[in-house]
Amino acid sequence: MMPSISYLPPFWTLVENHADELLRYARRLAGDDAEDIVQEAFLRGLRSYPGLKHGDHLRAWLFRITTTTAFDHSGKRREIPVADLSGETFEHSYDDGNFESIIEFLSDVNRDALRLRFVDDLAYEDIASKLGCSPAAARRRVSTAIGSLRERLT
Amino acid sequence: MSPSTEFLDRLASAAVAEGLTDVTYEFVSTPIGELLVATTEQGVCRVAFQQEDPSGVLEELAWNIGGRVVRSASETQQIRDALAAYFEGDPADLSFPVDFSLMHSSFRRTVLEQLRNVGRGHVVTYGELARRAGSPRAARAVGTACATNPVPLIVPCHRVLPSSGGVGNYGGGPERKVFLLELEGALGA
Repeated sequence: MMPSISYLPPFWTLVENHADELLRYARRLAGDDAEDIVQEAFLRGLRSYPGLKHGDHLRAWLFRITTTTAFDHSGKRREIPVADLSGETFEHSYDDGNFESIIEFLSDVNRDALRLRFVDDLAYEDIASKLGCSPAAARRRVSTAIGSLRERLT
Repeated sequence: MSPSTEFLDRLASAAVAEGLTDVTYEFVSTPIGELLVATTEQGVCRVAFQQEDPSGVLEELAWNIGGRVVRSASETQQIRDALAAYFEGDPADLSFPVDFSLMHSSFRRTVLEQLRNVGRGHVVTYGELARRAGSPRAARAVGTACATNPVPLIVPCHRVLPSSGGVGNYGGGPERKVFLLELEGALGA
């Protein structure tokens, strides 16, 4: 049996491969609460894991869950209306705690960059070519988007 | 850098407590090298020797049993303690429940279930085991069942010997088979 690349990997390999970068990201968003947030994000991931249809872009999925978990954890989520997603079809219909509603307030240019990073799992060079800017500018837009999320959280 | 042991332990415990695991696994050091042991709610589902690529073993578990594969020291404690005692010479059998999910052929399962009755210090030939499994002419198929045993040691395929003499093959390598048989006092001096 030759499995294709999109088979779901053993969950613990996701933990071992991505826990550190998720912790760094969560620290940037929420400081000292980072460990609690990433713990909860992984548990949410485990809860929905059996329902996933393929193993593509799981790293990006974990970043989205970490983002939404940070908002839930801070209690800020209640202030954000849940986006109306009816009629919209997502390429990745994975449960990510409705990431879209959380990033809705961002400017178009920063939100697009963040989506390419946290939905499409692209590297900065690829984000740059999609957006027609330099890799440095792509990185800056993602960074600005994360900075705005952080401000919302504090 | 990798996440702290404390972080990983806490996550594994929470996952186990909430029933979010399909398979739990851990590594255990033994005189025949590091073993990977994996369990489900039903029992031990996999014991892998060092030379089997662990990431490949974990993928096999994820695809055949379920993706929620979690490394947990506490969930595998009993089996790891029993293996440690076994290698120290404890005569107690490794009589853990086995989850045969990785073994799809019912004949092979029957063979392995029969083999569990062969106790420490005893050996059986492939032909005799075939007879006990109800198919006296299927010695070769019995060899295949042993070669694909997902839970060596727990199901003692090292106790199956060719009638022509010698120790024959072993998934973990013939030298491991000799080591185990000597440990059990099954190889006459």
